[in-house]
Amino acid sequence: MNSIRFENMRPQTVLITGAAGGLGKAFALECASRGWNLVLTDRSESLINTLAESLERGYGIRVQTFACDLTDPVKREDLFRQVVSTGTRLTMLVNVAGIDHEGTFMAQTSQQIQEILRINVEAPLAMIHTAVQYRDRRSAFRIINVASLAAFYPMPSKATYASSKRFLLNFSMALNQEFKEMNATVTALCPAGLPTTPECIKAIDAQGLAGALTTVDTGRAAYLTLEASLQGKPVVIPGFFNRLIHLAGSLVPANLLAAIIGKRWGEVRQKRVSRGELAAV
Amino acid sequence: MYNELKEKTYLVTGATSGIGYALTGQLARHGARIIGVGRSAEKCAQSQSILRRDTQNERIDYLKADLSLQSEVRRLAAQIGEFLASQGVTGLDGLVNNAGTFTYWCRLTDEGVETQWAVNHFAGYLLANALLPWLEAAPSGRIITVSSQSHYGSKIDWNDPQRRRKYNGLRVYGDTKLANLLLTLGFNERLAKNSAVRADAVDPGLVNTEIGSKGTPAIANLVWKLRKSGGTTPDVPAAGIVQLLADNEHHTSLVHYWKNARPQKSSREALNVQTADRLWAYSQDICGL
Repeated sequence: MNSIRFENMRPQTVLITGAAGGLGKAFALECASRGWNLVLTDRSESLINTLAESLERGYGIRVQTFACDLTDPVKREDLFRQVVSTGTRLTMLVNVAGIDHEGTFMAQTSQQIQEILRINVEAPLAMIHTAVQYRDRRSAFRIINVASLAAFYPMPSKATYASSKRFLLNFSMALNQEFKEMNATVTALCPAGLPTTPECIKAIDAQGLAGALTTVDTGRAAYLTLEASLQGKPVVIPGFFNRLIHLAGSLVPANLLAAIIGKRWGEVRQKRVSRGELAAV
Repeated sequence: MYNELKEKTYLVTGATSGIGYALTGQLARHGARIIGVGRSAEKCAQSQSILRRDTQNERIDYLKADLSLQSEVRRLAAQIGEFLASQGVTGLDGLVNNAGTFTYWCRLTDEGVETQWAVNHFAGYLLANALLPWLEAAPSGRIITVSSQSHYGSKIDWNDPQRRRKYNGLRVYGDTKLANLLLTLGFNERLAKNSAVRADAVDPGLVNTEIGSKGTPAIANLVWKLRKSGGTTPDVPAAGIVQLLADNEHHTSLVHYWKNARPQKSSREALNVQTADRLWAYSQDICGL
């Protein structure tokens, strides 16, 4: 049950990036089912328009859409200009958009590495910087950043991705303190693998029992994170087993962890290659 | 042989495998005209040509649609209307909402609906409503929905009907099968007075199909493999549905839940008129009807 809070008394408008993906849709639905209005952005125009149409119809809310590449500063500006031109003020920003490219550091192109940094780090920071200026000052302002359980560890073969999420996690925690005096909160979500696409489900399956134990449904992750955000909690790790991993991981030296994770990912990779799901490199 | 099926026209969803495929074949053997619906164009073409050859009935046509999307269901309904008109058919004698799915993880469609709810309930609700004029144009149109024993013990949580917040694939499956029965009740309540159309739900029993192994993780897949091996072939529930369609005595019966054409007892929750009305209103909201 959602408790009655100040937020529920004022009309809410939530801006969600990466809204057409599995977790983005789950956040959009969680907000829609509470009767909150939405601004959805994603690269795919047709996908967010489809989602917007059915959320407006099904939940009686107002949904604005703006399809764009968030790494483009001009497009980001256009997005906010459109939102503000309708008289909308934001009460929440959910940075879901994120990316990873399969492969080790040297197997990735320099373009791919740059893209990871720009979408996972540069874009959310820019979004926060502008969104805060267009917040509804009569309400508390909530920011949710989707980091990853990977943010806690140095991860061989996911080095750039995990480090970008580490940046976002540390940044969120620091900003949460900075923003206290202006009645804004920052919450970082650190999920393990999410079963969003058939591709992700295959990857989870390849991890065997560990995959089944660490996986939390997108709907649940979105719900828990939204509740945590309303309570101003800085970090959310959905799933008991994942919190256990986090606790255990915090007791092991980082260097040793990197070695253990490297070995584990190597095994999972091998398994997926032998199943024909990944190309051998 | 049911001669009375000869001049009839039926629509079967999920008709490229399992119960739907068996049902399409059986209806064709009785001489009926059938429109089958499947998700894969390739499987549709394959089923159409094999069944036409095997049953010596050329009046089998397949249409492709992804029933998890409301936009596709609407498009399909319009396409069916055009097709029926082009064939000179004036009424649809029966719609069999057979297509069903199971998902282990919570997957949301592009329209933001949980996949099992989208396919197992909303698609049937939308399709039946969209085709109602065609069903009413037939002498005694039938809406048959394939439910399941899984509905026993289910109760819809109205705070989170699709259980997104605490997902459990099997519980959601049970909820959608309860929804099948509640929808049947809802239709009969609304149609009883001024229409010859009547809705029924069917318990297929445990059937050896692939429903539990499409896109589920290895562990769940294994459990289903063991379970389904004890099930009947899809021909058994299909024969029950054929009998139900052919037998007009059932038409005046108050019972609307059947297993192999014999009355079956549903859960008490499935007979709750208030819940049926609430589900109807919820479906109207989600589908914008």
